[in-house]
Amino acid sequence: MKYIYTLLHILVIVGFYLMGEQLQDFFNIPLPGSIIGFLLLFTALMLKIYRLEWIESGAHFVLAFLPLYFIPATVGVIEYGKLFSGKGILLIPIVMASTFLAMASAGWVSQYAAKRKERSD
Amino acid sequence: MEFNLLAAFFATLTVATYFLTNIVYLRYRKTLLNPVLASTAILAIVLVMANVSYDTYMTGGSWVGTLLGPAVVALAIPLYKQRDLLFTNLIPVISGIVAGVTVGMASGVLFTQLFRFSEQLILTVLPKSLTTPVAMQVASNLGGIPSLAAVFVMVAGFTGYILGPSLLSWLHIDSAIGRGIGLGTSAHGMGTAKAFEYGQQEASMSSVAMTLSAVLGALLGPIAAWLLL
Repeated sequence: MKYIYTLLHILVIVGFYLMGEQLQDFFNIPLPGSIIGFLLLFTALMLKIYRLEWIESGAHFVLAFLPLYFIPATVGVIEYGKLFSGKGILLIPIVMASTFLAMASAGWVSQYAAKRKERSD
Repeated sequence: MEFNLLAAFFATLTVATYFLTNIVYLRYRKTLLNPVLASTAILAIVLVMANVSYDTYMTGGSWVGTLLGPAVVALAIPLYKQRDLLFTNLIPVISGIVAGVTVGMASGVLFTQLFRFSEQLILTVLPKSLTTPVAMQVASNLGGIPSLAAVFVMVAGFTGYILGPSLLSWLHIDSAIGRGIGLGTSAHGMGTAKAFEYGQQEASMSSVAMTLSAVLGALLGPIAAWLLL
């Protein structure tokens, strides 16, 4: 019985995803369909239109294997051997440096804002 | 028929490789044995040795990749469960994420421009800090290369995972909010995995940051590309 619920939950998640794709297509929204589906589901949960218990076990199942779904895309690196053997290898330190800057600014700004909020509270 | 069998073979090979590398990772817990990195390396070597093209592999590989869309939708559940943490710290959380996403995109574009890379490559580097499914879709919407974008997302992820803690302590970013938002905004799921090692609060903050920066990045990506190119 538990498995049937999990399966139904997964179908609901796929339903939200397809709804997002349809909306994206229909209104030409500049957001991926998956993100629209995510926002729809989050809104439905916040407004208590849809309940957590009706989707939780399916979400756990889908998210348990999250890294797996990335693999076919990352295997695509074999197509770029030429790029990374030339000037393109520079893109790796560029991405690393830019990641450092993003982490430093996100971490510093949020910590600073939280400390200010604490003081004013 | 032969084509379908081949596709089923590549899909199965991908899933099997993932589960095998995951077992090895869970036993030894070494960063370099990360299942995504290890599976990618194994599959890449197998394909190159067997002289199989990426397009042929993707006849089946894309079956596995399709699951990314629903997985992004499912991320609404952990965010919903952490809504209290999110709403009590709304301003610090949002301002940190906005700063990180903006700086990450702008610096990525400016550095690649500095070294005179093509516009297609600039647009491919732009979404690197976003979680893979979103980064790939943003890259493809903007005119970048989705599969290469996924490679840069991995580079950003490993940078945060391996070098992030040293950077954070060097900059005296030592609060749960600062660490979590920093890791999740810049290094998505892999940053979040590192945040779990600090504690529950860091982990929650990081997953909130990963999800919100994905939404924000999908919105800001086209604007950043339009402003900077």
